Amino acid sequence: MSTKWQQFKNSYFFHSFIHDKVAIVSFVVLVMLVVCSFSAPIIAPHDPYDTTTIDVLDAETPPIWMEGGNPNFLLGTDAQGRDILSTMLYGMRVSLLIGLGAVFLQAFLGVVIGLIAGYFGGKLDSLLMRLADVQLSFSTLMVAIFISAIFQAFFGINKYEELAVPFLIIVIGLAEWPQYARTVRASVLAEKKKEYVEAAKVIGFGSGRIMWKHILPNTLSPILVISTIQVANAIMSEAALSFLGLGMPVTKPSLGSLINSGFEYIFSGSWWITIFPGILLVILILVINLLGDWLRDVLNPKLYKG
Amino acid sequence: MFAFIVRRFLQAVFVMLVISLIGFSIQHQIGDPVRDLVGISVSKKEREALREKLGLNDPFFIQYGRFLKKALHGDLGRSFFYKKPAVDVILSKAPATLELVFVTSILVIVFSIPLGIYCAIFPKKFLSRLIMGASVVGVSIPVFLTAIMLIYIFSVKLGVMPSFGRGELVHIGGYWYSGLFTWDGLKHLVMPSIALTSIMLPLFVRLIRAEMMEVLESEYIRFAWAKGLKPKRIWFVHAFKNTLLPVITVGGVQLGTLIAFTILTESVFQWQGLGFLFVEAVERADTTLLVSYLIFVGFVFVLINTLVDIIYGLVNPMVRITGKK
Amino acid sequence: MRKLFSLGLGILLSLCLFGLANAKTLRLAMDADPVSMDPHVQLSGGMLQYSQLVFDPLVRWTQDMKFEPRLAVKWERLNPTTVRFYLRKGVKFHSGNPFTAKDVAWTMARLKKSPDFKGLFEPFAEPKIVDDYTIDIITKGPYPLLLNMATYIFPMDSKFYTGKDENGQPKDAIVKTGPSFANSHESGTGKYVVAYREQGVKWILKAFKDYWDKNSGNVDEIILTPIKNDATRVAALLSGDVDFIMPVPPQDYSRIEKNPNLQLITMPGARIITFQLNQKRRPEFANKKVRQAIVYAVNNVGIVEKIMKGKATPAGQQSPEGFLGHVPELTPRYDLAKAKQLMKEAGYPNGFECSMIAPNNRYVNDEKIAEAVASMLSKINIKVNLKTMPKAQYWDQFDARAADIQMIGWHPDTEDSANYTEFLLMCPDEKTGYGQYNSGNYCNPEVDKLILQAQTETNVEKRKAILQKVERILYEDAAFVPLHWQHLSWAASKKLKNAKDIVNKQNFPYFGNLIME
Repeated sequence: MSTKWQQFKNSYFFHSFIHDKVAIVSFVVLVMLVVCSFSAPIIAPHDPYDTTTIDVLDAETPPIWMEGGNPNFLLGTDAQGRDILSTMLYGMRVSLLIGLGAVFLQAFLGVVIGLIAGYFGGKLDSLLMRLADVQLSFSTLMVAIFISAIFQAFFGINKYEELAVPFLIIVIGLAEWPQYARTVRASVLAEKKKEYVEAAKVIGFGSGRIMWKHILPNTLSPILVISTIQVANAIMSEAALSFLGLGMPVTKPSLGSLINSGFEYIFSGSWWITIFPGILLVILILVINLLGDWLRDVLNPKLYKG
Repeated sequence: MFAFIVRRFLQAVFVMLVISLIGFSIQHQIGDPVRDLVGISVSKKEREALREKLGLNDPFFIQYGRFLKKALHGDLGRSFFYKKPAVDVILSKAPATLELVFVTSILVIVFSIPLGIYCAIFPKKFLSRLIMGASVVGVSIPVFLTAIMLIYIFSVKLGVMPSFGRGELVHIGGYWYSGLFTWDGLKHLVMPSIALTSIMLPLFVRLIRAEMMEVLESEYIRFAWAKGLKPKRIWFVHAFKNTLLPVITVGGVQLGTLIAFTILTESVFQWQGLGFLFVEAVERADTTLLVSYLIFVGFVFVLINTLVDIIYGLVNPMVRITGKK
Repeated sequence: MRKLFSLGLGILLSLCLFGLANAKTLRLAMDADPVSMDPHVQLSGGMLQYSQLVFDPLVRWTQDMKFEPRLAVKWERLNPTTVRFYLRKGVKFHSGNPFTAKDVAWTMARLKKSPDFKGLFEPFAEPKIVDDYTIDIITKGPYPLLLNMATYIFPMDSKFYTGKDENGQPKDAIVKTGPSFANSHESGTGKYVVAYREQGVKWILKAFKDYWDKNSGNVDEIILTPIKNDATRVAALLSGDVDFIMPVPPQDYSRIEKNPNLQLITMPGARIITFQLNQKRRPEFANKKVRQAIVYAVNNVGIVEKIMKGKATPAGQQSPEGFLGHVPELTPRYDLAKAKQLMKEAGYPNGFECSMIAPNNRYVNDEKIAEAVASMLSKINIKVNLKTMPKAQYWDQFDARAADIQMIGWHPDTEDSANYTEFLLMCPDEKTGYGQYNSGNYCNPEVDKLILQAQTETNVEKRKAILQKVERILYEDAAFVPLHWQHLSWAASKKLKNAKDIVNKQNFPYFGNLIME
C-alpha cells in the first residue's frame, strides 16, 4: 500500500498537481462542495424535502442581513418558504449526481461508438453516424419524452419522485452521446493513418488495444473540453426538462431548477432565489473546468512527451 | 465524390424514415391534439367524433402507412394549429432561425479565434486567465437568464433595443422574409444573437486554446522555431491551420446544441423561428408539425455532417471521404 | 370598373384622412393569439376576445354583471320559453350587407352545428323571425339563462358566408384543422376589420368606417402580437414596445404598479381553482371526515397572500360574489388543529400516502399552488407524491383519473352557479355528460336533483334558494377542496385613458370603447 502511495507521490501527475496553485485551490473547493452536498442532511439547517416543516407563509423571506430577514433562514427562502441555503445544499447533490452521471454515460457511449466507427469505417461507420444524426435530431427534450413514456408504462406516474434521478441521468446521458462520438471519430480518422498506428498493427496488436492504448489518448484533449462544458449543460438541461414535467419533481428541486424557478422573481425583488444558487453553480462549474483544463494538460501525451 | 453524395443522400432518406417512425410512435406522449382544438366544456362525444375524423383512432400502422404514402408526394400532413401544410409552416419559419444561427456563427468565429489563439500563446497571462474564467461564467449562466437580462438592461432600463420579435422584414423570395437588410431588422437581431453567442463562444474559445496549445508543443512547430521563422507566421499559419480540424468537427456537432439553445432563446425573444415553433408544437400537441420538424432537423443534420466530412477531407488529405478501406 | 375606381379612391381618401387625423394605434400583446377568424371554431377565451373586436353580440356583459344592449336594443319575455329581441337598425356588416333578423337566425343555426357551442345552445329551439328587426328566441323548455346565452350570439353576415369558396367547400363550413373560408375571411358588425393576419405572429385590425356605434372609442388600428413568455411580455410593456398586455404574471404586479407611466388593472374573476379527492381510487376520501380534514388543513388564505400576491379571492365555495349561488357565510376554513382532530376521528391519525397531479402552464401559478398544498397536507400526515406537467399532457391524465388528488379550475361559460356543479360535481354520467370533470367521483343524488331543478326554474328568487342550498351541501360534505378565484389582470400604458372601464369579469376587454391619448 505504502509503495503505491510512494509511487503516486513520485508520479508526474502528483508533481504537476502540487506545483499548480490553481489546481490545488480548485481541487480543495470541489472537495468541499462535494462533501457539503453529500453531508447536506447533517449540516443543512433545514430539511427541504420534509414538506411538514415548510410553511408557505415564510415564502420569499429575504436574506438575514436585509430588512424583514429571519434568523432562521440565513439566505432567505424561496416561493414555497423553503430555506434557500438548505435547498441549495440538497439541490447541489442532485445536480452533481445528474451532471456527472449523465456526462459519464455520454462520454462512455460516445467514446466507444466513436472509436468503433472511426477505426473500422465503412458501412459500420455510416450506420453509427447516421444513428447519431437521428439521435441529435431528437434533442434532449424528445428523448426525455420517449423514455418517460417507457418509465411510466413500467412504474406508473406515482413512482416518478423516487426514480427521477436515474431517469434524468439516462435521458441526458443518452441524448448527447453523438457529441462525443463524432469528435472521437474525427480524431481517430486523423490518427489511424499515422505511423505509430501502422507500426502497432505491424507488431500485431489487436484492434482493441490499438484503439484504447494508442488512439484514445490522442483524442483526449477535445473530449475533456467538451466534458467540462457538458457538465454545466447537463445541469441546465435537467432544469429545462422540469418545464415539461420531466425534470426533478417540484418538491425536490435541483440547483438548476432553483435557478429556473427563481428567475421569474428576479425583477420583482426576490433576487436571492436565483442569485445564490446561481453563484454556487458558477463556482461549481468553474472549479470543474479549471480541474479539467489542468487534467488535460497533464494527461495529454503530446504535451509532455512531445 | 459524386458517389459519395448519392450515398449520403440515400442515408439521409434512411435517417428521415427512422425519425418519422420513432416520432410517430411517441407522438401520443406529447398529448392529445384534439384537446387544444376544442374548448374545455366540449363533451367527450364531440371530441371522440373529431378524433375519428382526423384519423387519430386508427391503428398505428394504418396511420403511419397513410403518412408515408403522402410523404412520398412531399406532403407531411397538416399542422393542426396553423391549419396549413406542415412543410409550408416549417419553410416559412426556417429563415428566422437560419439568420439567427448565421449571425451567431459569425460572432462566434470572429471572437473565438483571436481569443482562443491569444489564450494558447500566452496561457499564463492575466488576461488569458480572465478570458478563461469569463468563459466558464458564460457557460454556467442559463441562456434564458442571459436573454432576459439583456432585455431588462437594454430594452427596459436603457430603452435602446427592441424587446421582442423580428422587426421590419424584407421579402427576398419564396418563403424567405429577411431581417438582415433593414436597420430595424438588424436591431432586433442583436440581442438574440448575443444571448446565443454567450453559450457557444466559451466552448470554442476553450477548444481552440486546447488544440492550439497541443499543436504548439508538437515537433514540427519546434522545428519551425529552430528554423527561425517569425512568431506570427508560426502561430497563424503553421499552428492555427492544424488546430482547425477538430474545431470543424466539434463545430458541426455543436450545431445540435445550437439548435437546442435556439429553442430557449427564441421563446424568450418571441423570435418566430423553428425553435419557437417546436415549443409551440409541443405545447399544443401539434403532432403532425412536430414529426415534420424532427424530420426536417434530421435532414439538416445529415446535410451539415456531409459538408463537415467534405471539408474535413479537403483540409486533411489523409482522410478519404469515400470512407472505404 | 367604376366601382373599382371609386373603391380605390375611397381607400386613398381614407388613408389621407387617417394620416391627417393622427391615427391612433394600439399595440396589444396577449399570451396567445386567436386561433382562427371563424368565431364558431372554438369556444375559448381567445376566440371570444376576438369576437368582441370583429363581431358584435346581441347583448354583452357590463362590468357589474348586467346586460348591455348591443345589436339588440331591447328585449322582453313573452312567455316562459320565448324572449323577443328588437334589433338595431342601420347596422352594416364589413362586407356592406345590412344586418337583419335573418342573420341572427342563421348564426344561431350555425352555433348549433359547432362542436364547441352546440352544448351551450342545446336548450334552444329554432328562433322565429317576426320582421327584419324583430326576432323571437325560443327555448325548448323554460330556460333561465337565455340572456346569458345571448352574449354568445355574435351575428354573422349570412349572405357573405353563403355559397361555395374556390375549393368547392361551403363557405359556412366549420373546419378546425384545415383551411376554410370562414377561417380566413370575416364579415361581422364589430368595430374592427381584420386587415392582416399571420397566425401566431401578428394581426392588424383596422377600424370599420361604417361602424354603427359612433360613441365608441378612438383607436383606429390595433396591432396584436402574441408574446408567450411572461417576462418578455412584461418587458415589452415596460420598454414601451406595446401599450397593453394581458395577462400579467403576479410576480410582476408590484413592478408595474410602481411604474409612473403604467397602470395595473385587476378584477376578481369567476374561475375557481380546486382540488378533487378521488373517492374511487382512495377509500379514505370516501370518508367525509377525511375530506373535511383536508379542507381544514389547506391554508388557502396563505396561498393567496404569498403565492398569488393577494390578487385572488380565497374561496370556501364554488360561486363567487355576484353569482346567484353565492352564500356569504361559506368562508375559507383553515384550522390545522381541527384538521388533525378530524383525521384522528376518521381513524387515520398516522395519515396515509397518496398521489397528486397538477398542470404547470394552465392556471396562474398552478404548479406552485399544488406544491404548497402538498406540503400543507403533510402536516396532517398525508404524504403527497406530486407530479406536474404541461396542459397538453395534463388533460389525458386527468381524464384517465391517474392520480388520487387532481387539480381543476373552472370558469362557467354560462356565468352561472349551476354550471360549476354540472361539470365538476354532479354524479359522472357518460350519457348526459354531467360530471365530465368530476374526477373525485363525488356523487350526491340530492345535489343532482337540485341542479336539474335549477336548470328550468325561471323565478330568480326560487332559483337562488336552490343554488345556495347546493353550495351549502357541498360545503358541509367537503365535496372538493376550494382554493381561490383567480383574479384577472391587465396592464396598460397610462396613455389609455379609460383602460380600467373597458375590462370585465369575462376577460373580454371592449377595445372598441378604448380612448387613447
